Amino acid sequence: MKWWTSIISQEIKKILSYRSDFWVTFVGQTAIQLVIARALWSSVFESQGVVSMQGFNLETMTLYYLIAPVGTRILLGESFGFISREIYDGTFTKYLLYPLSFVQYKTLTYLTNSLFYVLQLFIIVMLYRMFFMKAAFEPTMFLNLMAGMALFFIGAVVYLSLGMAVELISLWADNVWSLMVMLRFFTAFLGGGFIPMSFYPEWARRIMYLTPFPYLVSTPIRTIMGDVSGAEVMKCILVMGVWWVIFRVSVHFIWRSGQKRYTGVGQ
Amino acid sequence: MIQVTNLSKSFSSHVKEPGLKGSLKALVKREKKIKEALKSVTLKIDQGEIVGLIGANGAGKTTLVKILAGIVHPTAGDVSVLGYRPWERDNGYRKQMSLIMGQKNQVWWDLPALDSFLLLKEIYQIDDATYKQSIEFLADTLMVKDQLKTQVRKLSLGERMKIELMAALLHRPKVIFLDEPTIGLDISAQKAVRKFLRDYQKEWQPMTILTSHYMEDIKELCPRVVIIKEGEFVYDGALSDIQKLLGDEKVLSVTTAEKTFKVNVPRLELARKTQEIFEKDEVLDLNIMDPSVEDIIESIMRHGMKRS
Repeated sequence: MKWWTSIISQEIKKILSYRSDFWVTFVGQTAIQLVIARALWSSVFESQGVVSMQGFNLETMTLYYLIAPVGTRILLGESFGFISREIYDGTFTKYLLYPLSFVQYKTLTYLTNSLFYVLQLFIIVMLYRMFFMKAAFEPTMFLNLMAGMALFFIGAVVYLSLGMAVELISLWADNVWSLMVMLRFFTAFLGGGFIPMSFYPEWARRIMYLTPFPYLVSTPIRTIMGDVSGAEVMKCILVMGVWWVIFRVSVHFIWRSGQKRYTGVGQ
Repeated sequence: MIQVTNLSKSFSSHVKEPGLKGSLKALVKREKKIKEALKSVTLKIDQGEIVGLIGANGAGKTTLVKILAGIVHPTAGDVSVLGYRPWERDNGYRKQMSLIMGQKNQVWWDLPALDSFLLLKEIYQIDDATYKQSIEFLADTLMVKDQLKTQVRKLSLGERMKIELMAALLHRPKVIFLDEPTIGLDISAQKAVRKFLRDYQKEWQPMTILTSHYMEDIKELCPRVVIIKEGEFVYDGALSDIQKLLGDEKVLSVTTAEKTFKVNVPRLELARKTQEIFEKDEVLDLNIMDPSVEDIIESIMRHGMKRS
């Protein structure tokens, strides 16, 4: 077995070692999201006396709010503070001792977690379409789902670099917690995780699309829902590629400078 | 060989006045404080040697170990370990080195030890035969065969330390840094770890640096000691020679009706001092002893080498 397959296998074992946590995140959170989204939006539609808003009806709106949190979990991969926490408590040191690249190690563990959430997304969307939307199984729907899942996974690669750039600042800064909270908020707010992009005014949408967040959240969701053309998917991949290069270069410099400034605190 | 030449390391930290006013002031402007953790130290260690690094808290022991392990970059000076500069973190060096810290875990808590070992096997590219041999030797010597399939977080502190030792030595490192390996362990676990380290040293002959606050660790394992005080080496030599440092002194252990105390007295003043004590107090018991290694080291750590 190669070292990288061992790391992936180790991470899967870690994820599966806490059964209750696994099931609570998967079934519990999804059920709660479903109940809240359905209750909230059915009352909104009722109070407005309409059956559709900005291209959404109750079923598609509920689906949107089911996909958004799982999609965010795909982007976030490993838990919040996956690097900074280890730097502050000192466990980070072990990665400096192993004869492998820390960035490669963390990339593998992060994406393994993302992949788990991609599988959860697949199951959630398929079940919802079958039981709530009574949708027949069509190849286009399946293709859209696969394309959306792929976009979310590519988004996780981009978001990993962005998250890593922020978290590695903890190699010398006393606290990066506030930066991470802000990043998470901007991801959900500017990405369309809180409210679908079509609800924002045109000028606001234009500003939001200058950031990477709508490509990371909104476009993959809309792809799964079948609202995005093939050309738009390609554009999304291209834009994410450009952002990835920018974040990756930042990680390179922050990591290089951080190693020199690291004092091995927490030891 | 480990060759440390004129190595220095300074850390900067921010200081804040106490109280609300200090907190508000620090929000706008913070004062910087520079601490010299190591001041131009030089050291040479040969293959197969085990050296005890002794010093008070904050003396610079762990900083030196962290630089040698490649975790921290130095401010000045140079280090060569097995021909490598540690902080360049060449994989060739990392495959031959191990750092064991008594208070930190390097194995994964959520998994049984054997799962962590399997990953380490791939990371260090240990072949199947060596891996099997190492697991058997280490698990037997440390007596943890029955704990290898239990989630690490569920093991006792002593068992966890043994697992840490196993994880750190699986790849048979040529250089080992042991930072407080027996800290927090009960007496029987301390003895077991010491015995294991002695046996391992005999079997594989690595270069080892051991830092510990327990003198038993040092006395049992280290023929050579380096005493570090405020970032400087104040003694580097054989442990057996350390008693010569206070060779001219004796220790008087006195129990009176009110208290028990010890006092260091130059040999030539012994009679006069004893008489003085008998005249001043009602003495119940009095012993004249050679100073112990612990007393000498404590004395050096407090006063430097002035008394020798």
